[in-house]
Amino acid sequence: MRRRRIFAAATVALARAASGAPAPESGFGLPRDASVDGARVDSLIHFTIAATTLMFVVVGAVLLVALVRHRRGHPAVHSHGSKASIGVALGFVGLVALAVDGYLFTHTIIDMRRFFWNFASAEERADTVRIEVQAHQWAWQARYPGPDGKFNTPDDAVTLNDVRVPVGAPVLIQLASVDVIHSFNLPHFRVKRDAVPGEITKLTFQAREVGEYEIACAQHCGPNHYKMRGVLTVLPPERYRDWLSTVVADARRAYDPEDAEARWGWEWRRE
Amino acid sequence: MTPAQALMEEAQPIHPPPTSFWRKYVFSIDHKMIAKQFLWAGLLFLLVGGLLAMLIRWQWAFPYRPVPVLGKLLFGGTGAIGPATYQQIFTTHGLVMIFFAVTPVLIGTFGNLLIPLMIGARDMAFPRLNMYSFWTFVLSQLLVLASFFTDLGSAGAGWTTYAPLSTNVGTPGMGQTLIVAAVFVTGASSTMGAVNYITTVIRLRAPGMTYMRLPLTIWGIWLTAILNALFIPVLGSAALLLLLDRNFGTQFFVAGASAVNGGGDPILWQHLFWIFGHPEVYIMILPAWGILGDVLSFFARKPHHWYRGTVWAMVLVTVLSAMVYGHHMFMTGMSPLLGEGFMLFTLLISIPSMVVVVNWVLTVWQGSLRYDTPMLFALGTVFVFGVGGLTGLFLGDISMDLYLHDTMFVVGHFHFTMAAASVMGAFTGIYFWFPKMFGRRLDERLGKAHFWFTFLGLTLVFGGQLLAGYAGQQRRLFDPFQYTFIQGLRGLNQWTSYFAFALFAGQFFFVVNFFKSVFGRRAAPAGANPWQVTTLEWTATSSPPPFHNFDRIPEVVRGPHEFSNPEVRRLTGRDFAGQAELLPGGGEPAMAAGKS
Repeated sequence: MRRRRIFAAATVALARAASGAPAPESGFGLPRDASVDGARVDSLIHFTIAATTLMFVVVGAVLLVALVRHRRGHPAVHSHGSKASIGVALGFVGLVALAVDGYLFTHTIIDMRRFFWNFASAEERADTVRIEVQAHQWAWQARYPGPDGKFNTPDDAVTLNDVRVPVGAPVLIQLASVDVIHSFNLPHFRVKRDAVPGEITKLTFQAREVGEYEIACAQHCGPNHYKMRGVLTVLPPERYRDWLSTVVADARRAYDPEDAEARWGWEWRRE
Repeated sequence: MTPAQALMEEAQPIHPPPTSFWRKYVFSIDHKMIAKQFLWAGLLFLLVGGLLAMLIRWQWAFPYRPVPVLGKLLFGGTGAIGPATYQQIFTTHGLVMIFFAVTPVLIGTFGNLLIPLMIGARDMAFPRLNMYSFWTFVLSQLLVLASFFTDLGSAGAGWTTYAPLSTNVGTPGMGQTLIVAAVFVTGASSTMGAVNYITTVIRLRAPGMTYMRLPLTIWGIWLTAILNALFIPVLGSAALLLLLDRNFGTQFFVAGASAVNGGGDPILWQHLFWIFGHPEVYIMILPAWGILGDVLSFFARKPHHWYRGTVWAMVLVTVLSAMVYGHHMFMTGMSPLLGEGFMLFTLLISIPSMVVVVNWVLTVWQGSLRYDTPMLFALGTVFVFGVGGLTGLFLGDISMDLYLHDTMFVVGHFHFTMAAASVMGAFTGIYFWFPKMFGRRLDERLGKAHFWFTFLGLTLVFGGQLLAGYAGQQRRLFDPFQYTFIQGLRGLNQWTSYFAFALFAGQFFFVVNFFKSVFGRRAAPAGANPWQVTTLEWTATSSPPPFHNFDRIPEVVRGPHEFSNPEVRRLTGRDFAGQAELLPGGGEPAMAAGKS
């Protein structure tokens, strides 16, 4: 019994190593960052942790000294606030506002304009991978344009809960939803974007590391929201091309002109 | 009696107290009785909301396992929670806690009890409207309870009730409709209360009670009432549109495949909801801020540090609160420029909030601290609000929101502010004003035990949520461990749940204490001013006050925090001077300092 269990565990480990899938993570701390730009989010988070901890410790220390030393025996000072103490309060607040809020604001503006919400530059690059994702209760459908580069044509590759992208190329995703609001979340890539019925929203990222990652629905979308899980596979470019041509060939063979439901794609929205 | 006092006496003549049971205890127009009614109704629903929270914690610690004791009773079958039931549990937990537990306790109870007593009035401006407000509120609570007994169960679209999930597309069934109706009705109740509070503070302040002599508690409640009057109607109209969508086939919020002829716009719901919803978090924290501002000064035996600074900071927060709501919607695909604007205002609102916190710390600094239960709760509130405020910095920022939005980090953050700080602020108030309400004291030993369970419990539970969210665990998941990358968080979730169970158990210290002192025969009478403080409800009337509050309407001569003034001590031998107290000798030494 015991030997069989060890054998099973070894098989699983071997299969995992062969497929290149990452081992389950320890859990604590930020998940592994597999994206090119995710480090920008992480560095802001680390900065804010340091800054807020420092503020908490400074203010907390003053409070703690008062709690310990200014007790019943200590005579209370009769002051509604002096010029000096108000100056200390305003100085502290002003310093924090400039240093912390100012740092966050400028860095975020740069990050959003140049990277996370910069769909125009991804649109311009020749190697950009374009994918349409349609969310519904409770799965993600993905559509690749196929060799003709156009969506909603017979050579589109369509997958369910299975999105594959090449490493090192910008990925542009346009999102839609048929029923309720969902949110396309890639924790390992530090991006997410809501899929809203009646609208097309956008998301862009670039993978840095080959492997399998989870797509999570981040917006409560009904009882089975927790099962709305997909897999994002990052492949080396040549393996990605092989995979895509296989799915495209399958899609061509399975194409049914009568089936209007299957052509849920839309004409790609440009800026 | 001064001419000003005579005028106010004429405007508010003394009426005889009601004698019949119904008029005295049920359909009362006495603001003190209505405050007690709100307290009972709110605490009852705090228990309901707390039980729902325990079910959520059970689910995250032991998914698929039957809930002990209650499981078979509530869910039948094996007693385990299913996904459809689970979404109702977290939805109603949020709604019950916000609208039907914390709001009635913080605003209904303290607003009604304290506004007339602290400003020196005989009752609210519209006593009958006050009664209607309470009974409308009871109706909304009944609608909530009724929703649990409908065919498909109660609401399941989350407390934010995002459309189209909250329309028939996502949650058909009577339960969701009843809950939306309940929110509408409770909104009507809050609006009645708000109009009453605003008018009372403007019209019925005792002579000499200038705005800059108002206790900070009244400032907090008054600003809250203004926010309520401005934004609850927005929520009410949104709820009405949603009811039309659900019952009459309109499509204000329906889009996508279920929409006919194009439909409406789901994002419209979010705008309407959050332009109310963000002020709502200040609605729930401003009364607590006010209570803290007073209680810290009272128990530090020291004037509040820079009273005017705190007041203007609170006013500024009130004004800004409606201009930050878009940070809840960063991920919806809003225009980048709009997102940046909302981020800027969100970062700006941290500035007056910090002024308030720093003033609390400087109030305590160089004081002579008394660690009675209200003070412990007040200091605990400062701590948890600090954590809640600082974690807000992460979420007001678009970049970090890309990762943190909709994770347990958000849940931890708003529980530290809206749950920990608001609830502990409310307990501060309950322990502090209990002697005034019931004329008896609460037991200090039970109170302190309750404090430690509550303070440590809340901190550990919501701290655990922050950690889980930082690691990427998303909120509202029936089984969070579907995702392999958070498999390692099982232990954390279990420990967080153990702390939550201890927190819940610790509340029984309060229940026992409360019942013992309200109904028990042995509770010691409080006396008029057990805490030796300055405001009118303690210095100008008895505990509990008579039906007409004040035998004579007081004339206020100084601010609310006149402590440890050497002149006052020389003249009276006490370390405080009441707001309406004339010092022996007649020369008003405390006036100069009292201008604060």
